[in-house]
Amino acid sequence: MKKTIQITVNGKSYSRDADTRQVLADFLRDELRLTGTHIGCGTGSCGACTVVLDGRTVKSCCILAADVDGQEITTIEGISTGAQQLHPIQEAFVEFQGLQCGYCTPGMVLSAMQLLKENPNPSEDEIRHGISGNLCRCTGYHFIVKSIQEAAKRLQASK
Amino acid sequence: MISREYEFHAPKTLNEALSLLEKSGGNAKLIAGGMSLVPMMTLGLAHPDAVISLNKVPGLDGVKEDGGVLAIGAMTRHHVLKTNPLIAQHAPLLAEAAKYVGDVQVRHRGTLGGVLVHADPAADYLPVCLALGAQIKLQSAKGVRTVEARDFFKDIMTTSIEDGEILVEVRVPKLPAGSGSSYQRLHRVEGNYAIVNAAAVVEPGKKKGRVALGGVGPTPVMIDVSAHIASGVSDDALRRVSDAAFAAAENAYGDLNGDAKYKQAMARVYAQRVVRAAAAQAQ
Repeated sequence: MKKTIQITVNGKSYSRDADTRQVLADFLRDELRLTGTHIGCGTGSCGACTVVLDGRTVKSCCILAADVDGQEITTIEGISTGAQQLHPIQEAFVEFQGLQCGYCTPGMVLSAMQLLKENPNPSEDEIRHGISGNLCRCTGYHFIVKSIQEAAKRLQASK
Repeated sequence: MISREYEFHAPKTLNEALSLLEKSGGNAKLIAGGMSLVPMMTLGLAHPDAVISLNKVPGLDGVKEDGGVLAIGAMTRHHVLKTNPLIAQHAPLLAEAAKYVGDVQVRHRGTLGGVLVHADPAADYLPVCLALGAQIKLQSAKGVRTVEARDFFKDIMTTSIEDGEILVEVRVPKLPAGSGSSYQRLHRVEGNYAIVNAAAVVEPGKKKGRVALGGVGPTPVMIDVSAHIASGVSDDALRRVSDAAFAAAENAYGDLNGDAKYKQAMARVYAQRVVRAAAAQAQ
């Protein structure tokens, strides 16, 4: 069954026929070709599919595409501040080796962004809680935490 | 992609949702946050003929005061329960439990009503709703009925909700000033369901209290601990609370987290801890 949905993704409006069996992650990847949103477990455990829905991070593998009609989404493709530019959180991840294989990275970066929006100066413990919905199979958590600490500093300094 | 076809509806009013549910004839699923339902459909464990979303129905979320009761919309999401000032003031147990549900992303999307109808035996809100004396408001095309939380849970993932009914509101009596309450849970990994969880309320004056336990059987169980604590919350009184919790956990079953005996033993430990903490808070 198809359902026409209108959504705004990374500031751009789309009107598309979504298969009602598609989860949001499938829709973003297969219909809009925004393949930065990854699918790891497909069952809401790993957080690789994290996107921002109306200002809050969610797991896009556990939401039906047909159920977000009229809503606004930001994916990892939508956070850079300009062409060929990385978001300060992405820059910190690159410089502080916050990624190894990179599969969890889009979700990690968006969770970090949510955390720093609510808590611009988090403790290490708060960072670990903030990314508790994201799994890194390379177990590179230590460097991910360091990257987020550095990103927090830079974002604070740029204010 | 979910493999099996189904109809999808996103009604814009509660009446529309009720009539779609009525028409669907039994094998329809209501979707709230979808944090359990969508993975179950993806894995082929749930295969409804129709999915009816409550996400576009206005008026089903939010926390309101209604005299001595907090009226909490079924679609209220966990992050709201965690941070809402009315909840913090009048039903802090719910905020405490909301902190543990899933993870950040799950708390942004998942709902109170969804957790209650899913009725996982170790879900955080189950013992909390029992200990708070919550009432579950169910609406169907025929009208509204209210069920006490302690009568709502019938078996593992089975509640007394009937075909054609929608859980629309959870009514939580405000805790009187001077009450103490505590929610604690045993878990190994953050974000996982509890292995055993417990919620206690001790009334002002510390003569009356109750503790509810989850994860120790197919449904949450509640114990009135008033008789044990009436003459003081002593070590001896807490030992009697523990014994009562052990007995109440007689239907505990084993799973990958531990065998039935272990869970029964943990019922003892956690009942004692929450009653002690609630009593310390009460005046």
